[in-house]
Amino acid sequence: MSNGNGNSSLLAKFGASVIETIYHSGRFARFQWAAITASCSVCLKPAMYPLILNQMLAIGVRSVPVVAITGAFVGMVLAIQAYDQLAGLGIEEHLGVLINLSVVKELGPVLAAVMLAGRVGGALTAELGTMNVTEQILAVQSMGTNPIRYLVAPRWIACLFLTPVLIIYGDFLGMLGGYLISVPYLGINNAAYWNFSASGVEFWDISIGIVKGFFFGVAIAGVSCYKGFHCKQGAQGVGEACTEAFVGSFIIILAIDFVLVVVSKAVYSSLWPLRMLL
Amino acid sequence: MENKTSKPEEIIVLKNINKSFGSNVVLDDISLSFEKGKTTVIIGPSGCGKTVLIKHIIVLLRPDSGRVYFHNIRIDNMQEKQLDAIRTRMGFLFQGGALFDSMNVYENIVFPVKQHVKIKNREKLHDLARTKLAMVGMESFANAFPAKLSGGQKKRVALARAIALSPEVILYDEPTTGLDPIRSDVINELILKLKRELGVTSIVVTHDMTSAYKIADRIIMLHNGKVAADGNADYIRNHSSPVVQQFINGQADEDDLRALRAPGSDIKISDIEQ
Repeated sequence: MSNGNGNSSLLAKFGASVIETIYHSGRFARFQWAAITASCSVCLKPAMYPLILNQMLAIGVRSVPVVAITGAFVGMVLAIQAYDQLAGLGIEEHLGVLINLSVVKELGPVLAAVMLAGRVGGALTAELGTMNVTEQILAVQSMGTNPIRYLVAPRWIACLFLTPVLIIYGDFLGMLGGYLISVPYLGINNAAYWNFSASGVEFWDISIGIVKGFFFGVAIAGVSCYKGFHCKQGAQGVGEACTEAFVGSFIIILAIDFVLVVVSKAVYSSLWPLRMLL
Repeated sequence: MENKTSKPEEIIVLKNINKSFGSNVVLDDISLSFEKGKTTVIIGPSGCGKTVLIKHIIVLLRPDSGRVYFHNIRIDNMQEKQLDAIRTRMGFLFQGGALFDSMNVYENIVFPVKQHVKIKNREKLHDLARTKLAMVGMESFANAFPAKLSGGQKKRVALARAIALSPEVILYDEPTTGLDPIRSDVINELILKLKRELGVTSIVVTHDMTSAYKIADRIIMLHNGKVAADGNADYIRNHSSPVVQQFINGQADEDDLRALRAPGSDIKISDIEQ
């Protein structure tokens, strides 16, 4: 009998967690849809542009140093780590391809996005979460303004357009860091370094890295704003929401990266013969 | 317990409102109507659903069942977009003020105006903000940020923001809680002044009986999600229900007193250390 009860309570718990998951997924999807439609309508309203510019300053401009530093260190570390392997094979002049390709395709975009998830995502969730627990979001609503349009859309648009730009900064500093270690410090021939780089890194590689930025930006804004809007009451609630927002956007960034790599490979291999014909 | 028959215009009508959070029933089949131009005070112990009730009036919360009418139009089932127009005709004073802390006092006041009006005459906008701030006696704080204001000042600025669009109805959520008696009276006078000068309908949630007696045309007491008493100040003062008398006189419950006398309530910290 007790066993039966145990099983049924286990089943009830499982059922409750399934219902909970479906409820949260539905709420998340509805929030994102509302954010997308609100962002589109805000883009058509010049009166909202100052709000977008404010967010661009907070989200984009103030993130430049952290993204640049991350990029530079990635490039420098890659150079130091890979040099010995390549020198062992006598092809150390190919170091440029390795560094620049890794930076523009993968490490630059992903690490910049992760840094942004921490810096921007954390700040967005904390700000909106505090507004939520102090009823400021309800206050916006009570005055007849849609809080998603007023609060989420400008942040969403700023993240969407500025994450790719920040990735370009990260890529640039990554290349510079790799170059500074490879050529002046490790003594690789300057012309060979850049020639090999130019032959190995295609426009396609750079654009894929930048395109990723749009997706990462949306993921960071979407998850962080959602968590801020739906955080639990109190300081602990805001703290938990910030942690969940960072972990959530980090995982989504990695998942999106994986999907985009698969898709871009498929697109590249189907377009490759076409390019040969041209 | 039901309302008197409707001679004056009923601006807000609630019909059979039920609201639960999980298994906690907060509002249990509440039906009320509010007359235009009158001040109604809703009293009741903390957690009895007063705030939940007034949030239903502006549809910041939607009922599980029941209906909310504003000027005889059903609003509880409206889309958010339609509700925005209704909400501009109501002002809501939040318990903590809910001022936007990224904006200064002036920007807080003009926020609702900027959201709903195409501003052509900036001078007039400044005048409007100045007038509203003067009404709450805060005109010298236009450039201050909410973080620099005291609790009472925040509430007064929040009140100025709530009346910025000259609403027909103002909902006050505990306007005097946490304020000293003098500041509380300033807020009471403000509520009376707004009624006198702007003819607004006010619904005030409070558990401050001094304030309730001073401002109310009608007092409603909520208890366990139901209306326990409904009438003018004298009616409430002389109400026969022990629940009402206990609340308005601020007497502790027999159960609470028993808990204070219970064995173990005199444990000293030194006992724990041994």
